[in-house]
Amino acid sequence: MTAARFDDLIHAPTRLAIVSLLAASERADFKFVRDTVGLSDSALSKQLATLEQAGYIEIHRGFVGKRPRTSARLTTVGRRAFEQHVAALQEMVAAAGVSILPR
Amino acid sequence: MADEMQAADASEALAEIRNRQRQVIDLATVPSWYWWAVGALMVVLAVGVDTRTSVAIGLTVPVFVIGLLSATGLAVRGQFRAAQLRRGLLDGRGVAAILAFVAVIIGITLGTAFALRGAGVSYPATWACLAGGVVMGLGGPPLMRTLRRIMLGNRAGSPR
Repeated sequence: MTAARFDDLIHAPTRLAIVSLLAASERADFKFVRDTVGLSDSALSKQLATLEQAGYIEIHRGFVGKRPRTSARLTTVGRRAFEQHVAALQEMVAAAGVSILPR
Repeated sequence: MADEMQAADASEALAEIRNRQRQVIDLATVPSWYWWAVGALMVVLAVGVDTRTSVAIGLTVPVFVIGLLSATGLAVRGQFRAAQLRRGLLDGRGVAAILAFVAVIIGITLGTAFALRGAGVSYPATWACLAGGVVMGLGGPPLMRTLRRIMLGNRAGSPR
C-alpha cells in the first residue's frame, strides 16, 4: 500500500494536470501535453523545468528525421511522489466521507 | 497547504487526475472501421488461398500485407507519437480478453473452414474468413470498450 504524502509541488493545478498525463504514459510528447493542458510552449517548458529540477521527470530531446521532438516521462521518484499524493488526496476525501465517483 | 485543503478540493483534484489520465487512455482506442478492414483483408487473402493459382496468390498476399500495414498505421496514426500508454494500465484481465478474442476468431475461422471443406463446399477458406471477419468486425469494438474499462479502473485515483 502506498504511503500518503501530500506534495505541494505536484498539487499546483497546471503541474497536477501535466503529472497526471505523464502518470498514464510511459512517455508523452511535448506537443501532446501542451495541447491537452492548453499551455503555451514557454509556460509548459517552465513547468517541466520545475518538475525536472525536483527529479520528478526526465526530458528527452531527440530528432525524428530532421524534426526536433521533445518528450517527457515520470521518473521512479516522480511516480512514487504522484502515487503518494493521490493516496493523500484519497485519505482526505475518505476522512470526510465524500464519495469518489469516476468521471 | 494540505492542512488548509477541504475534502471537496481533494475530490476535485482526484477528478482532475482521473480525467487527465482518461485523455491518455482514449488515445489508445482503435476505431471500429479497423476491425472490419482487417476482416475484409482476411477474406482477400483467403480468396488467393482458395483459387490456388500463383497469380491470385501473388496479387492477394501483397494486398493483404500492404492493406494490413496501412490500416494499422492509419488507425494508430499519431497515437504512439503523442503518448505511449503505461504498461501497468492493461493488467492480466486485459491480456486475457485479447487472447480470448484472438482464440475465438481463430476457432471460428478454422472450425468453419474444416467443416466446409469436409462437406465439400467450394471456397471453404473464403467463407470461413468471411465468418471470422464478421466476428472480428462485430467483436472488435466491444473488446476495445472492455480494455478501456480495465485501463480506466487501473488509473491512479480510481476508487478501490
